[in-house]
Amino acid sequence: MIKVENLFRTFQKGSLEVQILRGVSLRIRQGEFVSIMAPSGMGKSTLLNILGCLDKPTSGSYILDGIPVHNMDDDELSRMRNRKIGFVFQSFHLLPRMTAWENVILPLIYGDFEGDMKDRAVRVLQAIGLADRVDHLPRELSGGQQQRVAIARALINSPAIILADEPTGNLDSSSGREVMKIFHELHAVGTTMVVVTHDKEVALQADRIIEMKDGRISDDHATGSRSGEAA
Amino acid sequence: MMRMLRMGRQALKAIATNRTRTVLMMLGVLIGVATLTVIASSVIGARAEVLARVEKFGLQQIGVIAGAGRKPGVPQPVCTSLKLEDAQAILSEIANVKDVCPEIVRTDFPVKRGNKSTYASIVATNSSWASMWGTGPETGRFLSQEDEVYRARVAVIGKTIRRDLFEYEDPVGKQILINNNPFEIIGVLEPRGTSPRGDDLDNQIVIPVSTGQKRVFRQDYLFAVKVEVSDSSEMSRTVNDVREFLRERHNLREGVEDDFTIVTPTLIMTMMSSLSTTFSLFLILVSGISLVVGAIVIANIMFMAVNERRGEIGLRRAVGARKRDILVQFLLEAVCVATTGGILGIALGLLGLKLLSGYMKLPAAIMWQPIVAGLVSAIVVGLIAGIQPAKKAANSHPIEALR
Repeated sequence: MIKVENLFRTFQKGSLEVQILRGVSLRIRQGEFVSIMAPSGMGKSTLLNILGCLDKPTSGSYILDGIPVHNMDDDELSRMRNRKIGFVFQSFHLLPRMTAWENVILPLIYGDFEGDMKDRAVRVLQAIGLADRVDHLPRELSGGQQQRVAIARALINSPAIILADEPTGNLDSSSGREVMKIFHELHAVGTTMVVVTHDKEVALQADRIIEMKDGRISDDHATGSRSGEAA
Repeated sequence: MMRMLRMGRQALKAIATNRTRTVLMMLGVLIGVATLTVIASSVIGARAEVLARVEKFGLQQIGVIAGAGRKPGVPQPVCTSLKLEDAQAILSEIANVKDVCPEIVRTDFPVKRGNKSTYASIVATNSSWASMWGTGPETGRFLSQEDEVYRARVAVIGKTIRRDLFEYEDPVGKQILINNNPFEIIGVLEPRGTSPRGDDLDNQIVIPVSTGQKRVFRQDYLFAVKVEVSDSSEMSRTVNDVREFLRERHNLREGVEDDFTIVTPTLIMTMMSSLSTTFSLFLILVSGISLVVGAIVIANIMFMAVNERRGEIGLRRAVGARKRDILVQFLLEAVCVATTGGILGIALGLLGLKLLSGYMKLPAAIMWQPIVAGLVSAIVVGLIAGIQPAKKAANSHPIEALR
């Protein structure tokens, strides 16, 4: 599903060149549930941005779902994000003046979806347990519910992979557990999940933990907490 | 196309959900377009009105006004050199002159009947006056040539005088006092309305010029002579003939200025067109300034909105919006807001015009030109004001915007 080879990413800070990623190689197979763990500043956000097609590597190759992504232009990357990737953010990023279903359909607007968008959004929201919150504004929802709306938005285009950046970071522990439960359910039906976190407890829920240090992968191991799927 | 429609819906939603911002953005364009509509409509209307009057005044007529460098309707010191004999001589001596109409007009003249009194414009003239001005008696008769020869104390009155002095009585055959001279009323004029300067043309009393000179004004000079030519293609030659003729009669040597002013229809038209050019320039300036202000307001608020909505932009980019999609959305927002402001401005302008025309007797027809101009300039303002903020929005980096 994801095949990353010798990925470098340098940023220009004034006259200074800062190397954030220094040769990351990584494979994630279809249907895997992976955590990427690192203390902040070790390159995990940069890696996530590249995996999410929001950023381009300085060098190295990235093949997503069989398509080479590293040389794509901005429009093609937008298309990849729209088709292949569902984002879940720490701070939800719901548009405050739009109702739950209007937020959920946003990815459909930028694709070639034809049909009743609201109908589709309602079905996804139902599946995620928010059938009675379809016409609510984000401010009328709890944090856990808001994150679930964001997950519905990530799912609506049936993406190949869900990228979650500290999905439980802004939630209390019970809402956090609820969100992780949904992730397990999604994993159970075959969705590829990548969760970036610095929370050990969250990371341990995945099948496999990738640890990063100083722009490189320092450790990559199965957790064994789930059914024995080897990495 | 489908995608464009979706962008449009997103833009409309953003406009509809942030009302305060939308109203603020609209205000500048609204005021600009409203001013444009009001000024353009009244200028175009006034011009049409004046042209119609010039045509009615007649392309076969020229005016000779006593005194140098006069403009019609502008009061200046009295000049006593233009005489009734001049008018008669113009008619008998100059070829191509069909008719003349001497005029002495005095406004705010006291008129009495019994215990009722009013102030009227007294017009001392001859029997040609009615046809020259394209009017006539509604009841009774107009002045005749005998009236003039016998200095008859007869008067033809306008509707306003009739109302003020006679109410519902038939005035014909009754007497009124003009400057303590008794006059017999022989007719009532058709209603004539208001002059371009706003004078009530029905507040006039027309008397024979000879009677006026001897009994009312006690003066031997005229204020103006209207001359009608037979062949209007010979107009400029006739004008020249009249000028030479009068200079000779007034013993003006070479190099001395005319002591009269000749007004021709072409002169009036030239005056009008230069006047309307000035008006048009003024119009362009005023509405231009307000539209520029409107554009600046929209651009500023849009820039603020782009900063405020960085999260939204980042999120839209993350779920697959291309730069172009963001650009189109923000540009559409600006254009929609400006256009709505424009439509409201046109409505407000037309409403204001209606009120204004009620108060000020402005000729105010609803015309398509100001409406189209208002709408087009609103759209242009939206595009110009929106393009830079929209570009900024489209080029903001999704990662930065999501932070």
